[in-house]
Formats: sequence, C-alpha cells, structure tokens
Amino acid sequence: MTSPVVETIDAARIFHRGGRSFEALRAASCRVFLGERIAILGPSGSGKSTLLHLLGGLDRPTSGRVAWPELGTNLDLRPKLIAIVPQSPSLVPWLSTVENVELPALLGGEPRTARHQAMTSLENLGLANLAKRLPQELSGGQAQRVAIARALMGDCKLILADEPTGQIDGATAAALFDALLTHLASRDAALVVATHDPAVAARMGRSWRIDHGVLDTAAATGS
Amino acid sequence: MLAIWLNGFLRRRLDLILGSAAGVALAVALLALLGAFLVTSGRSMTARSIAAVPVDWQIQLATGADAKFVIDALGQATAYRKIEPVGYADTAGFTARTGGTVQTTGPGKVLGVDRSYRTDFPEQIRSLIGAGEGVLLAQQTAANLHATVGDSIAIERAGLPPVEVKVDGIVDLPNADSLFQAVGLAPSVAPQAPPDNVVILPLTQWHALFDPLTSMRSAAIETQLHVGLTHDRLPSEPMAAYDSVSRAARNLEARLAGAGIVADNLAARLDAVRGDALYAGILFLFLGMPGALLAILVSHAVAVSGSGRRRWEQSLLRIRGASIAQILRLAALEAGTISITGVALGLCLATLAARLLWQDSLFTGAALPWTAAAALLGAMASMAAVLLPAWAQARSLTVAVASAAIAPGAPPLWRRFRVDLLLLLLSAALFWLMQRQGYQIVLAPEGVPAASVDYYAFASPILLWIALGLISARLLGIALGPGRRLLSWAFHPVAGPLSSLVTAALDRQRNRITRAFTVVLLAMSFATSTAVFDATFRAQARVDAELTNGADVTVTGSAALPAGPLLPQLEGLPGVAAAQPMQHRFAYVGSDLQDLYGIDPTSIGRATRMSGAYFQGGNATATMAALAEIPDGLLVSEETVRDYQLQPGDKINLRLLNVTDHQYRTVPFHFIGIVREFPTAPSDSFLVANAAYVAGQTGSSTAEMVLLRSRIEPARLAHEVEAVLGPASGLRVSDIDSALRLVNSSLTAIDAAGLSEIELGFAVLMLLVAAAIVFIPNLAERRRAFAIMAAVGARLPQIRAFIWSEGLLVFLGGSLAGLLSGLLLAGMLVKLLTGVFDPQPEGLTIPWLYLAVLAVAMFVATLAAAVATQITLRRPIVTALREE
Repeated sequence: MTSPVVETIDAARIFHRGGRSFEALRAASCRVFLGERIAILGPSGSGKSTLLHLLGGLDRPTSGRVAWPELGTNLDLRPKLIAIVPQSPSLVPWLSTVENVELPALLGGEPRTARHQAMTSLENLGLANLAKRLPQELSGGQAQRVAIARALMGDCKLILADEPTGQIDGATAAALFDALLTHLASRDAALVVATHDPAVAARMGRSWRIDHGVLDTAAATGS
Repeated sequence: MLAIWLNGFLRRRLDLILGSAAGVALAVALLALLGAFLVTSGRSMTARSIAAVPVDWQIQLATGADAKFVIDALGQATAYRKIEPVGYADTAGFTARTGGTVQTTGPGKVLGVDRSYRTDFPEQIRSLIGAGEGVLLAQQTAANLHATVGDSIAIERAGLPPVEVKVDGIVDLPNADSLFQAVGLAPSVAPQAPPDNVVILPLTQWHALFDPLTSMRSAAIETQLHVGLTHDRLPSEPMAAYDSVSRAARNLEARLAGAGIVADNLAARLDAVRGDALYAGILFLFLGMPGALLAILVSHAVAVSGSGRRRWEQSLLRIRGASIAQILRLAALEAGTISITGVALGLCLATLAARLLWQDSLFTGAALPWTAAAALLGAMASMAAVLLPAWAQARSLTVAVASAAIAPGAPPLWRRFRVDLLLLLLSAALFWLMQRQGYQIVLAPEGVPAASVDYYAFASPILLWIALGLISARLLGIALGPGRRLLSWAFHPVAGPLSSLVTAALDRQRNRITRAFTVVLLAMSFATSTAVFDATFRAQARVDAELTNGADVTVTGSAALPAGPLLPQLEGLPGVAAAQPMQHRFAYVGSDLQDLYGIDPTSIGRATRMSGAYFQGGNATATMAALAEIPDGLLVSEETVRDYQLQPGDKINLRLLNVTDHQYRTVPFHFIGIVREFPTAPSDSFLVANAAYVAGQTGSSTAEMVLLRSRIEPARLAHEVEAVLGPASGLRVSDIDSALRLVNSSLTAIDAAGLSEIELGFAVLMLLVAAAIVFIPNLAERRRAFAIMAAVGARLPQIRAFIWSEGLLVFLGGSLAGLLSGLLLAGMLVKLLTGVFDPQPEGLTIPWLYLAVLAVAMFVATLAAAVATQITLRRPIVTALREE
C-alpha cells in the first residue's frame, strides 16, 4: 500500500489576535496521494488557505498533526518536493518574470540549469515573451500563470495552489488549467487547488468541501 | 475623516512615525546646536582675544600737561579699572665696574614706576632674581654690564652728573615691545625695537633723578599713564569691540586737545586677531555648513523614504474618489505629525547636548532665533518631502501607475544633464583659482581697518561634496546596472548562487538603496573631512607648541643667569630621556638685532624634534650634517637672505657680544642654508649656528637654555625640575602641554574644537539614521516578498543573503566611498584654510581612532538594519502572506 504524499490527522488551527481567538480549521483529517487532483471548495474565509498552508508546511497545526510520509520531514519539503502558488499577488516584486520562475531552482542549489528550466517552464505556458517583465508590468492573469510556471519547475511531488484563477476570466482560467493539467499528466505529482470556483473544482478528480473550518473529504469525483 | 486617518496612522504606523521623526530630530538638533555654538563662541570671542593684553592704553602726556586733567578726561571718555603713571627717561648709557673691568652700555631707558604698578599690571615685569622692587635691571642689561644683585651701576644723565644706584633685582620685561613703543607715530612707520638697556627705578627716585632734566631736555623725559579699561561692556565680536575701543580712544584724544596721545594696545590686539576671528567664523562656515546641509538632506531623505507607501495609499484613496485636496490634507496630517514629533525630539536632544557641552540654554538670548530657525528648517524639509511628491503624483500619475509596487520614473534630471560632472569641474576650477591667489581667503592687512573674506572659496568644497555624492550615486547606478555582473561576483561569498537575484533585487529598489547609500556616503565624508581637518589642526597645534616651547620641558635662563651649568643635574633626573644645552644670544646683522641660537647639530635632535619642514630643502638631517661639517656655518631666515641677497657659501658678518671686553665684535660666518622654524625661535628673523664656534668667538660657552626630552608626562617633569631648581633660581621652566593649552586657546582652535565636538558625534548618529532609511520604507511589502520567497522554499540564511547584501552595499560601499571623499575634501580644506595653520602642515593627519569608531558605527548600523529586518521576518509566513 502506497503512502500518502501528505496527510493531516485531526489538524486544527486557531489564530489569536488582539486578545481574541479564531478557529480557522477544526480537527481536519485528510490524505493526498501521488497523482491525485483535489479541489478544496469553499466560500471566502472558510479555511481553505489555512488547510493549504498546513499541507505545504508553511504553518503548524495548533493541535493534531501533519505528516508527509512519502516526502520526508518539514525541513526538506520546499522547494524541491512541494511547490506552492500563494494567493495573488504571489510574485516577488523586485524580480523579473524569469527570475521569479528560476527562484526555486536557485534556492534548491541548481544554479547551472535554473535559467534554462525557467525558460522552458515559461515556454510551456506560452509566457516566454514576458521573461524580462517585472510583476507590475503583468496583468493579474499573466502574473498567476507565471506563479504556476514557477510551481512547475523541477520535479515536485505536491503542488498546492491557492485560488490560482482568482483574478482570471473564465476562458483564460480554462486555458490555464488545460496547460497545467497537460503538463502534469506525465508526472505523478499531486495537485491540490483551493478554490471557490465550481468550474475549477469540476476539472479535478476529487473535491473536498470546507465551511467554517470544517473539512468534508467525502465528495463526488470530478468529471 | 482626518481623525480616523490619524488614529489609524498612530495605531498601525507608530514605528514609521518614530523612525521618520528620528531623522527630523537629528536634523533639528544639529542645526540648533550649530546656531548655539555660533552664539556661544561669539559671546566669548572678545574676552578670549584680549585676555593677554597687559596694558590697554598707554597715554603719553605732552610736556607740561596736567595729569589730573588727563585722568578726568579719561573718566569722561570711558570706564577704566586701573591707572598707573610711568616715567620714561632717555640715558646715554649705564656703566658698571665688576671684576676689575668697566662695562659701559649704549643708550638706554630708565623707567619709573610706583610700587602698585606690579600689582595692577603683573605681566609687565617678571622677577628673575633678587628683590621685586627697588632698582631693577633688565636681564639683557645685566648681561651687558656683567652686573648682578648688589652691584652698583651708574646711570648717565645728559647735562647732569651720572648717579650711582645699587641693583636690587634683575627682571625680564615680557612686553617690552609695547612698553617702549613710540607713541603717536604714523601707522606707516616701522615699529621701533625696544631699547637694549633698561633700568627700572621707584617712581619717587625716578622723579628725583630726572625732574631736573625736564626743563633742559624735555624730549628725553616723558610720562605715560598706563590704563586698564573696563571690559564688561565690550561687544562680543572682536571687530565690533575694536570699533568701540578705537572710538573711545579718539574721543579721549579729542577731549585732551593735544595734552596727550593714546597708544591703543587693546585695539591693536583686537585688530591683530581680526584674521583669527574671521578664520574662526570661516571655520564655522566650512565645517558647519556641510553639517547643516547634511542635516536637512537627512530630514528630507527620511521623509521621502516613505514615499512608496504613501503613493500606494494615495492611489487607493483616488480609486475610492478622494480629491487632490483631500489627499493633500491627509498627507499634510502625516507630514505634520512627523514634523512636530521630530522637532520636539530634536529640540530635546539639542537642549540636553547644549547643557552638557556649554551649560547653556537654547531658548534664551541670541540662541533663540537660531533654535527657532532650526526647528522651522527641519519641519519645512520634512513637510516638503511629503507634500510636494503627493501633490505632483496626484496631478500627474494615473492611479494604476501610482499603485505600482516599484516607483515609476525617468532617470533624475541631475543624471541626465550630468550635473555631477559639472559641479566637479566647477569645484576644481574654483580651487585652481584659489591656488593661483595663494589660498588667501582672509585678507586682513596690518594697519588696514577693513578685512575682506573671499566667500567664493566656500563654493569649492561645498560643490565638491555635492558632486562626490552625486557621482557616487551615478557609480552605484552603474554598478547595479551595466556592472551587475561584477557586483554579483562580489556578492557571491554572501549570497552564493542567489547573488544574481540579489543584485537584480537591489537594482529594482534602486531609489531606496541609492538614498541610503548617499546618506551614508555624505555622512561618512562629512565626518572624515571634519575629523581629518581637526586632527591635522591639532597636530599642527602640537607642532606649534613644540616650536614655542622648544622641547617637552625647557629651562630658560639668561646671559646673567644661564641654565647650562645645571645640565648635569637635569640629566640626572629619572624623568629626563635626553637633555641638550642651547645658546640664546643676540647678534647684529647690519643694524638689525636678531636672536642667535647656538647648538650642537650632531646631538640637538636627541632632546627636541628637528622636522624637515623647519628648513628649506625639507631635510633636517642633511641640514644639521651640513652645519656640523662647517664650523662657521650659519642658517638664516628667508627675509635675511632677501635683504642681503645671500647665496649659499656667502660670507656674512655678525656682531656678537664678547664677554672678555663686553663689546660687540664682528664675527664672520658662512651662509649655508635657510631656516624657517626652530624650537623657541621667534616668528621673525633669527639665526642658527654651531655653539662651539660661537663660544670660541665670544669667549663664552654658556648655554642660556636647556632642552629636555621627557620620559614621563611633561608637566610632571616640569614640576620635578622646578623642585630641583628651587623657587629663587630665576630660571623659567615651561612644559609643552602649557604651550599647547595656549595655542589651543586661539579663537580658531576653539572654534575648530567646538565644531568638531558637535559634528563628529552627529556623524555617527547619521549612520544610524541611514540604517533607518534602509529598514523602514516599504516594510510590509518587503515582508510579503520575503514571505513569498519562504513559501517558495527559501531558508532563513538565503533570505538573510538579500538583507546582508543590501546592508553591505549601502554601509560598506557607502562608507568606503565616503572615506575616500572625506580624505579628498580634507585635503582641499587644509589647502583653502592654510591661514589657520601655523606652521603649515606637511601632510594630513589621519585620526585612526576616530575612523575606527566610525567603522564600528558603520558596522552597528549595518547590523541594526539587518537585524531589524530579520526580526520582522519572525512573523509567521502565513501572516505575512495575508498582508497587502
């Protein structure tokens, strides 16, 4: 039996601010396996990003635990094993498009091939002509596609995207997902997307629902 | 709405307010202290400059004038503290019969003073040996007559028999030049040398001896009133005091209507320090103005550092429909909050500093306008830095452009029009012009009332300073742009494979980086130039003190009472590292009496410093060797060479006093070189020769002085020497530290020291302000950017690479560039202000300790900026990602 890429066991996350507490995620248990396509569907403020951050190792649960049986410990996850596309804006404003994309390779100690990999990733998404632009010179959709190109660098086993189509119109979002899924088709990486867009969720293999911090992983398989 | 905005601002952006206010506070504090310093130093300038005037006025009474009438007129013309009558009588000479021989002097003077004279004017007569009152012999006269205490001498009186008096004491007349000045001569007439032979009698005895001559030879008998004026009401500024005193003297002469003529020593002294006072004021401009400019620049830079955030916030307001007027009101609210906070903090800082430095207040008297001006300038600079861009951006930028994370804009105007290079050329041209006119900034010719200051000279260093700042910003731009590969290579040890991204990131944040870099550079340059100038000035003051005192400790005697015989005793003191005797005689060169110093050129350097700067050719060793090789060799001053058209090897005859017959005899010498300075020598012409040759030619090997090099503190050694000599030795013991204190009491020295004290401290603080400029702006945006990098997979050391590279570029790069600029500026300042140095410096003196302190400050600033940034990164990644 294969191990999950990532799993949470009764993971909860409580935020404290100004003397008040807020339970963003309540005892969530879930598993993600290699090759899966999972959408986390829920309205704004439901806890999608919080769950994504826990899955990516950006945050730690207040209670319960998160583990990456297939990947290792929290210290070794990023940038080589897990790629994250944060909510927009998700590019470093001082770096150009190609510099943003090659960032994971440089951080991972692959300076010789970083630029080549970055340009390849941009070309795959039809963004090569934007290589030298700064983030401020890109549209919202272009910026998100660049962030996805960055996530597709290397051979990550888990890709987490937080509202990747949040600023894109329907047609562009569809084209973006086509390119993403096509690129991932030949890879066994798992893709988890947090979204409030049912159209995006419909293109994923599984959907989890989350509302007021309560996660429901029993959802219908997507088309 | 204003209240809501202010409330939110104070609650959420308090760190930004305080950071920006700190920059404004620094500027206000520096400006206020500079103004207060100007007032404080000006207030005491007159008092300091006239402290050494022994007799303010010498009123020469006309023959037959009523002294009471003159004193009454004096009281009406001005307020005075003390007044003493002094009789002056010419004599054909003095005669003494000692040791079986008869010595006779040439013409001389007999003074008559009351017992109270020495109490009222203690600096005029200094006892050497014997009694302090009675018949007193000037030391040169005693030497000429070979007379000492207890001997009888005869005073020649024209037309009357000579009179014998018994010598009660031997004295020195330190102010002989003014004591025996010819009163009433036209300013164009050359000053008269004091008489070589002087005897002082009690006034009653003087009258008894010389009153009978009044009717026969009235021209040979004079009476003066020596007056000490009340100084309390004199203006603080020397030139104004000079005007006041001169007017009073003219007023008195008008009242006297020929009954008396005033020799105005006080005005002469104030006139003489005119140059010093002007240089003191000029130093304030040269050293103070860059500090003031830098303070305003820092205030402006700190305020501008928040421009990105303000631009973004204002774009949000415009999206929501705010008008330009509303935006400007909110901007004014922020600017006003920062300005008020900054001004208040600055005034507190300045008040504390003023109390510590001068025990003075910034809010009273003449200091108040300067304090108010400082507050206004600091506030205006920070307000303008916020409001002007807000107004310009609201009018000219679209909302989309304004809300961009990285500011838009073409290269600044100065870069496009090459203003930096133009300023550099202009500075060089002005400096070259100053060089051509011999660096004469202050022209205060002796005897000419008006003094002129070449204010254009200021432009050269100010323009150079600005040009160097702009050129460095241009070079930084080149390094970040076309030179990025080289910079990337330089950052490799810090950033590793990320070095190319690091340099790219720095380039995209060029405005902020350049602003901080320029502040660091200018602060470092300003501090370095001030410190190097001050160190060079102090070094020259030390040289001046060395030349004045001669050695660490000097024992000075006279021909009658030489210090030379005590050499074995002095050498035996444990604190003495070396001791050298030195003759101090007088020789006639033509009709000009000059000081002659007889030395052993092979060993004089053991006890005192022989600098190359003392001699033409610049080589002290070679000059001393030449003197040692030629027994009758003579070093003379440049003026003597010019007067007598001397060539090396020329024979020059001097007339020296021979002890065997006490007559001046011709002694041949050969001119071998020019001496410019010599330990203890006066500033005018003097001679240096071999002591052995002088001894052989004059019959006396006596050394009047002994120079001592000290192993311990010179002041301590001086005390030990005095203890050995005893109180009645008649010898004067002086140490170099006392001479240094005197040198450092000049107006220029005080101004230089005072300004340096203020500015060096502020330079260190400004480096920390630069750290704030690096750290504060766009903090939330930078935090989010680092959070994105962390989310992508950056480890803390990798993020630190960005932070440390930024710190190193700004602080290390800025400091090195500032150090070089400062050295260049210091060299220019030393050349332009050559008039303040005496003697001229051979080169710059580098204050290594202070530069080390600056280096530490630079490191602390780098560390502060880096650590502060890293502390903000401790905020959880997810929290930072949620920030906008």
